[in-house]
Amino acid sequence: MDEKKMTGKKNVIFCAVSVVILVLLLFPLFWTLITSFKTEKEIFLIPPTWYPHELNTKSYAAQIENGDFNMFKSFFNSFVISTGAMAIAVVLAVPASYAIARYRFVGRKAMLLGFLVTQMLPVSVLLTPMFIMFRNMKIYNTWWAPVLADATIGIPFSVLILKNYFASIPKALEEAAYIDGCTRLMAFMKILVPVAKPGVIVCAIFSFLYAWGDLAYGMTFILDQEKRPITAGIFNFMGQYGTKWSYLTAFAIVAIIPVTLIFIFMQNYIISGMTNGAVKG
Amino acid sequence: MKKVKEFFRYENAGLLFILPAFLYMLVFVGYPILSNLILSFQDVSVKNLVKGTKHFVGLSNYVTMFQDEVFRKAMGNTLKFTIYCLIFQFIIGFLLALLFNKNFTFAKTVRGLTMIPWMMPMTVTALMFKFMFSTDVGIINYILKSLHLIQQNVEWLTSPRTAMIAVVAANVWIGIPFNTILLATGLTTIPQELYESASVDGASSFQQLIKITLPLLRPTIESVLVLGFIYTFKVYDLVYVMTEGGPVNSTHLLSTYSYKLSFDLFQYSKGSTVANVLFLILFLVGLLYLKITMQGEDE
Repeated sequence: MDEKKMTGKKNVIFCAVSVVILVLLLFPLFWTLITSFKTEKEIFLIPPTWYPHELNTKSYAAQIENGDFNMFKSFFNSFVISTGAMAIAVVLAVPASYAIARYRFVGRKAMLLGFLVTQMLPVSVLLTPMFIMFRNMKIYNTWWAPVLADATIGIPFSVLILKNYFASIPKALEEAAYIDGCTRLMAFMKILVPVAKPGVIVCAIFSFLYAWGDLAYGMTFILDQEKRPITAGIFNFMGQYGTKWSYLTAFAIVAIIPVTLIFIFMQNYIISGMTNGAVKG
Repeated sequence: MKKVKEFFRYENAGLLFILPAFLYMLVFVGYPILSNLILSFQDVSVKNLVKGTKHFVGLSNYVTMFQDEVFRKAMGNTLKFTIYCLIFQFIIGFLLALLFNKNFTFAKTVRGLTMIPWMMPMTVTALMFKFMFSTDVGIINYILKSLHLIQQNVEWLTSPRTAMIAVVAANVWIGIPFNTILLATGLTTIPQELYESASVDGASSFQQLIKITLPLLRPTIESVLVLGFIYTFKVYDLVYVMTEGGPVNSTHLLSTYSYKLSFDLFQYSKGSTVANVLFLILFLVGLLYLKITMQGEDE
């Protein structure tokens, strides 16, 4: 970034331009939010209204009531699935990335390459074999299937991000622990993981978000609508009620609540994850 | 000798830490890749998925697929989709990166907020764009009509000529933040003194961009484009939710066609074949990416 701070008129112009760009970029979100509070009739008005003239919260209320438009359950399902996938990814990826950063063991390069390659995999390659495998394991149509599948997106991403964190921790810190009589595992748990905590948080966030955004696994491995994640629920509703935009936009807003919260409270972690990690699942 | 042994044991202790993750990936990714390959050489459909003999049919699925018109169409569409997306998201992302590289008061905050589209679940993005591109209620038709760019409502998603534009637009929206953030990070590594001495020598901003920024940013640009290619080439949910590959296959990508073959038509072997072709292309491009990134990787 430019060292010297911009001042005066130039600064004002740049600020104004950036705000205009931001408004344009985020317009789809704004429009979805506005629409979700309109009545079905108002949505079809021409010219369109730029804010809800008649505030309609029915589309949101319907999501916690019983019946067709109840999305509360699928929100909960998504939450369980994403948390499960996140837990598996973090528990497995943290020690693995430490191994890659610190040890030069047999097959290290091949394994590192393996993690890099899996990041590039299209879901289509895994869907059918996983589908057959989960049927044989008798976990088809349970939460386990998407949890296990979603974790395969989080693990390689986390390993590749975290290895940089572990590599940047001075070796002396670890050696001091050994001198004090720590075993390798104790030093790892008590000294290294706490130091690498920011990295671990980045991995947890991204593993959660990948799973939260997944549609293919949730839709393919779970048959019963009441067990499906919110993305599959939305897709299902688009097929059934394709033009009920007041409900559909409200579903969309509810589905991005966790994403928005994570963004508000953990923006810096996200930027760091995006610049250090490579591909989105 | 004992020392060597001790040392060796120390390094290989790493295996104990990596093995759980590695085995997990072997079971849930390695095995499916292999089994997908086998599947593409068999004749598995809904009839013999669970029980019944699976015949080995050699390359015949691949031959059938390359003669299949929809497959060829999907292949062309995937390339078109990827290239259009890359061009637009790169240009816009690059301009934004240049903007945010200036040190004005809002730079950091606004740059952070432009990351939001990248985090959205693709299903939600697809829904939002489907709504905006819809024929009668769509805001895009309304805006274009107000600007007198079109006379009548365009049937964006229901006409084969325009559906691709809509899905590309949606995907570019997701891709811009990714390009912006990586390019902006790359820009910060260029020493400021270079620009200072260039302006002393009388170089215009455009000359500085061509002679300093672009050459020094080349490694970043390369990896942004290759990663963008990989990520765009395999896009699935976005297009599936917006159009399901239609109308008349005009937006079918290799990924959506593979899904349709396997899970709508239950021709699992044909679906795997398409998925493998997709994978092979990504793999080759992936090697290119590895070549770029592994250069900096320590032995």
